[in-house]
Amino acid sequence: MRGQAGRRLLILLFLLLTAFPDAAGADDFDRLRRDASGISSLSADFVQKKSMKILSAPLVSKGKFYYAAPDSIRWEYVKPIRSIVISNQGNTKRYIASGGKMIEDKTGGALAMKIVLDEVAGWMKGKFTANPSFAARVQEGPETQIVLTPTGKNTAGLIEKIEITVSRKDAVVKTVRIVEGAAAETRIDFLHTVVNQTLPPGTFQDIP
Amino acid sequence: MNLRLLLILPLLLASCSSLPEIRPSAVVAGKVIACPSPFVARKTLFIHAVEAAAAGETRAVMIGVTVADPASRTLSCALMSPEGMVLFEASRNPSGTQISRALPPFDEEEFARGLLDDIELIFFEPPEPVDRAGFSDTGRFVCRRRLQGGGWLDVGKDGDGRVQIRRYSKGGTLRRSVALAAGANPYAAIELQASEWIGYSLSMTLVEPEAVLDEALSGK
Repeated sequence: MRGQAGRRLLILLFLLLTAFPDAAGADDFDRLRRDASGISSLSADFVQKKSMKILSAPLVSKGKFYYAAPDSIRWEYVKPIRSIVISNQGNTKRYIASGGKMIEDKTGGALAMKIVLDEVAGWMKGKFTANPSFAARVQEGPETQIVLTPTGKNTAGLIEKIEITVSRKDAVVKTVRIVEGAAAETRIDFLHTVVNQTLPPGTFQDIP
Repeated sequence: MNLRLLLILPLLLASCSSLPEIRPSAVVAGKVIACPSPFVARKTLFIHAVEAAAAGETRAVMIGVTVADPASRTLSCALMSPEGMVLFEASRNPSGTQISRALPPFDEEEFARGLLDDIELIFFEPPEPVDRAGFSDTGRFVCRRRLQGGGWLDVGKDGDGRVQIRRYSKGGTLRRSVALAAGANPYAAIELQASEWIGYSLSMTLVEPEAVLDEALSGK
């Protein structure tokens, strides 16, 4: 009888531990959300390095990134191809340089980018656990690193993991590394980040 | 009756199309003219901005990565969104085609075959020998090959230095037309026009310097 109670206790303990695998992690995510809540706007340059087996050296893209709380984003590439994705008040539009002018992308590209930008807007707010397609864990070091790993079949195979490095000081995202597989990854470094300063007028407006 | 004629007309026109004539001659002012050969001579990596258009309207702008190895006749290519998302990745060698990634709408087998055929047309010298060389009605010097799989391939050079590659069906219908840039680097700008039931065009502009890949150094 006593042995049975002991076994039950062990099972209960096991269930409690597996149900809350990283209670400390949950605290970390709360802290990240609190720290990020102070960010009302952000602008940064970014450098993106794409590595693939087919490329002899990473393909370097450059651009500008703008964010305004709660969920406005302008993600603008200037090299090698100019493209702008603007997400504002639930609408996402994508523009691509063609024939010397910016044209709106009428294919499904804008929809695909909306999914990405909604995710990025969440990260800017310190929300790393909102998407059930990914399991999130925090690794503390000189910087805070959040590792997202796919939970379902849809993302697995396309993305192996996403590593987001966040400043310990103010929860600003510094780098994003998307690992697509053993031979392919995308690393985005955010530079010259400016927080809570007025953004240029029309940043989130449609491109005429 | 009129409707029937309307339906038959394209077929009649197609059957009437024939290979453009060339006046055989490879000698001008006593000098033998060499056939234009813009094709890659060593394993080379190209990164282009690719604009795809159909019905005169731009449908997509992508980053196209191509590695062409003429020695092994191996092609590898990838299409990426401007943001770097890999939409399609495949390679082809004489023993077959391998598709490693194909997201919709690039997941049709027909698309992969057509794309790799187009890339092969642009970058690889055809293995067939030149059947005849001479001048077209427009004064372009053209070298013509009879393709093993049927059809004809013309490689010609305009007066301004632009190389034109044209692939015709067995019956002489123009299927593909490729115009390469004049100057030192013909692959700096490429225009491809596909004449199919649903025609399309590709406009490719080099966005990174092309890189000759040394097998011994890269280890690939």
